[in-house]
Amino acid sequence: MAEKVFFREDIFTEGAEGTILLAHKCKSCGKVYFPKVHFCPNCFSVELEEIPLSRKGTLYTYTITYMSSSHLEAPYANGFVDTPEGARVFAPLAMVEDKPFKIGMEMELEVCPLWREEGKEIIAYRFSPA
Amino acid sequence: MREVFVIGVGQSMFGKTPEKTVPELGSQAVSEAFDDAGLNPRDIQVAYACRGRYGRITAQSILKLFGLTGIEMINVENACAGGLTAVRCLWKDIATGIYDVGIAVGVESMTTLPTAGQLLRAGEEDLNAQLGMTMPGLWGLIARRMMETRGFTREDLAYVSVKNHRHGCLNPKAQYQKELTMEEVLNSRMIADPITLLQCCPQTDGAAAAVMCSKEVAKKYTTKLVKFAASTLGTGDFAYGDYDPTVLSVEKKLAQKAYEMAGIGPEDLDVIELHDAFSPEEIMHYECLGLCDPDNCIDFLRSGATELGGKIPVNPSGGLLSLGHPLGASGVRVICELTLQLRGQAGKRQVPNAKVGLAQMLGGVETGLEVAAGSIHILTI
Repeated sequence: MAEKVFFREDIFTEGAEGTILLAHKCKSCGKVYFPKVHFCPNCFSVELEEIPLSRKGTLYTYTITYMSSSHLEAPYANGFVDTPEGARVFAPLAMVEDKPFKIGMEMELEVCPLWREEGKEIIAYRFSPA
Repeated sequence: MREVFVIGVGQSMFGKTPEKTVPELGSQAVSEAFDDAGLNPRDIQVAYACRGRYGRITAQSILKLFGLTGIEMINVENACAGGLTAVRCLWKDIATGIYDVGIAVGVESMTTLPTAGQLLRAGEEDLNAQLGMTMPGLWGLIARRMMETRGFTREDLAYVSVKNHRHGCLNPKAQYQKELTMEEVLNSRMIADPITLLQCCPQTDGAAAAVMCSKEVAKKYTTKLVKFAASTLGTGDFAYGDYDPTVLSVEKKLAQKAYEMAGIGPEDLDVIELHDAFSPEEIMHYECLGLCDPDNCIDFLRSGATELGGKIPVNPSGGLLSLGHPLGASGVRVICELTLQLRGQAGKRQVPNAKVGLAQMLGGVETGLEVAAGSIHILTI
């Protein structure tokens, strides 16, 4: 079996239901940031706490691209998903036959291998229609 | 601050010309700009060159062909806003009195880049780029959201491409001088849903150049005094959390600043050249530049106001969609187009009696920023 590696180290955490995304919450103004930030772009505070993001969110917008990108083979879907914490996460989306994308639909996080590099399976994240 | 004028403009043919080197492309535009100004190249005191990708000593390699050495030459890059950034830098030098006359040149040979034929994206290390964010993909996401929140149809988006290709037929330097029907645009290959191939600007080789100077110098060369009424350049806002990608806050701020500098409002504009890399993008700029409100943008679009002959023609040159988009060149090219329009020298695509023109460019996609750079300039005669 191919070795599995996370494509980034600093954006995942282990939750009760498996690996989930890690965000920053500003202790001063409460804004939530994914990916994490060095300071709060809203109030410039450096007092940030790490918070896990819920697995569930709603689809803010989406597109399906018909030319391959650096790692993803065409056709592939992308979108922004809003989590209850207030993060708007850009992510690949899983295309499910009987669940066409619709803005506002419920989505669920999947942390899984999305591409291969040098024989290794690269684990990233995507959202799938719930 | 001193007033700054454009006295010479030049543009190479835009198209797919991989056999032409960057200095060859650049020198076509520069030569035309010097001829247009009636200026001896030796009188140039400063030069800025922009090349978006893999640029290196671009100004020097072009201008040595005109016998220019010794003077201050600076090479800039700001993604698709790079050309207007070069113009902006030159404007600052002349407005503040550091120099009296200089040249801004933008050039790109897209067909010879390692990325030729691929979807353009942010840097390889960028988080979103690794997860599939591309330029058309971003505009696909924005277009989908605009359809949801403003009610635009696929036909509305495609209309922009039909319009700009109609304009492009009137421009002898456009890559595609060919009319497209709504059906052709809609039925072309899907790239990033809802954006089809014929709603994407092509990858193009080309160059543009503008000679700019103080009033004292300008008066020696011309009676058609095309003046910069406003010059702005800014960086995109953070894009986290509840940020709305269909509203570019940096562009709204720059537009307000530019209108204040020029002492006008959007209703005073006669002609606009803007960044229509993808058809939905042009529509978003209508809102950001204050041509219409989000509430009535559909009515504004469907009224034909932005066609040649309409209330406020947008991209009479054919825009990036039909003219083509050599990244570094486009921002200088929009200044060239406005100058021709204000002088009444735009040929078949002339906007009658144009006195006030606005040029807008936007560039750079990066995780965490709404856009990297934006620039708006206003010219008057």
